[in-house]
Amino acid sequence: MSHALALHGVTKRYGNFVAVDRVSLDVAAGSFLTLLGPSGSGKTTILMAIAGFTVPDAGRILLDTKDITALPPEKRDFGMVFQGYALFPHMTVAENVAFPLRVRGMGRAEREDKVRAALDLVQLSALGDRRPQQLSGGQQQRVALARALVFDPALLLLDEPLSALDKKLRAELQEELRALHRRVGRTFVNVTHDQDEALSLSDQVAILNHGKLIQTGEPAALYERPATRFVADFLGKSNFLEATAEGGVLHLGGLDLAQADAPASGPVLLSLRPEKIALLADGETAANVAPGKILSWSYLGAGYSLVVDTPMGPLRASLPSWRAPIAPAEGLAVRLGWAADAAVAVAEDPA
Amino acid sequence: MNGGHGPGGGHGPGPFARGIAWATALYLLLPLSIVLPVSLTDQRFLSLPKHDISWQYYHNLFTSPLWLDAMAQSFWIACAATAIAVICGTLCAIGCWRLARRSTEVIRALMLLPLIIPSIVYAIGLYRYFAWAGLLDTFLGVALAHGVTGIPYVIVTVSTALAAFDPRLEQASRGMGASLRQTLAWVILPRIMPGIVSGGIFAFIHSWDELLIVLFIASRNVYTLPRRIWNGINENLDPTMAAVAVLLIGMTLALLLLDMALRRRREG
Amino acid sequence: MRRDTGWWLLIAPAFLLLTLVYIAPIAQVLAISVMEPSPGLGNYERLFTSESVQRVIVTTLRICIITTAIALLLGYGLAYVIALATERARRWWLLAVLVPLWISVLVRAFAWVTLLRRQGVINEGLIAAGVITEPLALVWNETGIVIGMVHYMVPYAVLPMLAAMREVDPRLLAAARGMGASRGFAFSRVFLPLSMPGVIAAGVLVFIFSLGFYITPALLGGGRTLMVAEWIKLQILDLLRWGLGAMMATVLVLAILATLVVFSRLVNLRRLFGGGA
Repeated sequence: MSHALALHGVTKRYGNFVAVDRVSLDVAAGSFLTLLGPSGSGKTTILMAIAGFTVPDAGRILLDTKDITALPPEKRDFGMVFQGYALFPHMTVAENVAFPLRVRGMGRAEREDKVRAALDLVQLSALGDRRPQQLSGGQQQRVALARALVFDPALLLLDEPLSALDKKLRAELQEELRALHRRVGRTFVNVTHDQDEALSLSDQVAILNHGKLIQTGEPAALYERPATRFVADFLGKSNFLEATAEGGVLHLGGLDLAQADAPASGPVLLSLRPEKIALLADGETAANVAPGKILSWSYLGAGYSLVVDTPMGPLRASLPSWRAPIAPAEGLAVRLGWAADAAVAVAEDPA
Repeated sequence: MNGGHGPGGGHGPGPFARGIAWATALYLLLPLSIVLPVSLTDQRFLSLPKHDISWQYYHNLFTSPLWLDAMAQSFWIACAATAIAVICGTLCAIGCWRLARRSTEVIRALMLLPLIIPSIVYAIGLYRYFAWAGLLDTFLGVALAHGVTGIPYVIVTVSTALAAFDPRLEQASRGMGASLRQTLAWVILPRIMPGIVSGGIFAFIHSWDELLIVLFIASRNVYTLPRRIWNGINENLDPTMAAVAVLLIGMTLALLLLDMALRRRREG
Repeated sequence: MRRDTGWWLLIAPAFLLLTLVYIAPIAQVLAISVMEPSPGLGNYERLFTSESVQRVIVTTLRICIITTAIALLLGYGLAYVIALATERARRWWLLAVLVPLWISVLVRAFAWVTLLRRQGVINEGLIAAGVITEPLALVWNETGIVIGMVHYMVPYAVLPMLAAMREVDPRLLAAARGMGASRGFAFSRVFLPLSMPGVIAAGVLVFIFSLGFYITPALLGGGRTLMVAEWIKLQILDLLRWGLGAMMATVLVLAILATLVVFSRLVNLRRLFGGGA
């Protein structure tokens, strides 16, 4: 049984500081939502409010149709994976996983069955007698998951579940977490500041900044159609072109820009992803062409990252390194080109 | 290079500092060690053994109903006082730690008052107060007074243990549905047990050695070991006192070693 | 907040016990000092008019200052050696400080009486060795009190100073020596200033403990040299002058609190008493 979660105008203040500002969200039953934002964006406060560790100053939190805003954490029946995992160091792995069942007064035999099943689910059946501090970071993370899922919680909350791990392990566990979500079919709410993790794990991403919800949507939609400069900048990399529209044509740096769905007049802010800019060969052309000189470049393995000085200002472009058409060098003259639908108009963020 | 001669990197203390340190250490320890030979004296008064060592004063001590009764009374009072101090002090330290706000800081500071305010002030106040409450010269009265003045020792050791306790463990426990009682019994108390035991040991020693309060609030019924010693020193300096002193020093050493062993286990 | 009720309930037993069995009796002392024998500040007037009251205060302050100074000096040397000792040696040194700290103050006073009295071990030894012919008056006077009190206070002086010294990076001393400073210069210009907060904390602690000390001064002073704690006991148990005794007790508490307040600006006193955070 999975449940839907809804937040209506949730607000939390600490003195004069507004940590969470009127956030409303709908999480469909069985989906995987990630709250993404830089530190101080209010994402952890929202998770703590959902878990019941902080009480919002205003707004309501609904589980399906039931108002749980004032319910203390121990009455909510949510599973939670804490930052750093919060495994009990004085208990074995199996005792840790059994803890929520013991709390619920479940009999020993039934408890042991459930613990075994939960440890199987995360492939740790062999390590039940160990102490948490004898396990690797990845194993501890899986114990925390088993402990959070063993009592069939209505909701699983994850607070930066992968942040303590190194990069390679993180990628592996992202896949495992995704598979686990499909297997158990429950509603997951995850918090992270890592955009890659958010994109690869989630069905839905909610982007937060300064306590406000900026945009929600599926990962691809957010990446391809960011609503504001902040979203475009925080999710991946982006060039920003501050152009002016006149009679349906955009002008910037003495050049005309071909842009799909351009407004008739007024200032326009465009977000243009570096990987959507191509390095044009001689004679090749594109809807938009900007000549320029390489200001700086760096080699990243799979590709090059270039900064090219153009009449529109410096533009960041990426170039695959395998059979690259040019050998990047500072001062080298190049032509950049992109399609009319490559850039997206975005809003400025309110200050 | 001066190589590894300890953390000073070869810059140990000079001869002057070393001299003071050794002299001070001897000053601290030697007077205590004098009671051992004196307790074995063959003379009838406080002195070093002249011809032979003798166990007569230990025999005196362990056959004298006065001394045995005083020890028994002190032991039971110390047990009761320790129970009061450990239960109240531990719960209070946990509450203050978890609530962690200005008001609980004030409460914690208040709990330490018995360490700061001289016993004489408390003793005279209690003398009047217990006379009014009918608790003078009762086991309960002495246990309460020793218990409340033992709380600070427990607060200090338990607070130190809690400072090393990850507060997310408490959150995790509540988040998984545990009630406050379950969280206390299964998560918090097992983790801070060494601190509680340390506090208990110090509260026990405090009550076992306490004299001034007892001098004021006890008379015939409650006759603790320190009171017996006090009278002994003031009235007849007999070598049995040295035997008592040896016994007390031995007990304190044993409790301190126990505490050190517990600490080492906690760190190891 | 409602959901914190459970945690407040944990604090309640200790708080109630402290209020009823500790704070109430002490508040009563303060009340007696202005109520008996007649309401008013009459008892406090004695501070300015009674020579015996003034004498006991002066004696107490003199003994406390001497005790604090000696305990700080001895304690500093000991703490300095402990701070620079190797891990193994430090454990033994610490034991030498902690064992006396926890041994009954009565037992310690008894040991001093055994050593210092006219027929005591020291006098007998010195006479037997022919150094003196008449026994020295080592106890039942101010000398005895100071010897016993310093013995009691040195461990309390060592612990805060040691804590401060262990926060001094020993490489700083090595660096000073490496730059050509003599041992004495490195100590006085680098180590001593850095360990000063510990010295002040230790001084405050020893001084306030000394002010209200009863057992050692009473046993080693032999009733001839009175400090305030014994004087208060005398007023109340022997002379039944409750108002005067309570007045002195109040002055004692105020003096201690004032010392703490003044010095809390200079050093972090919360650390002295094992602050939680």
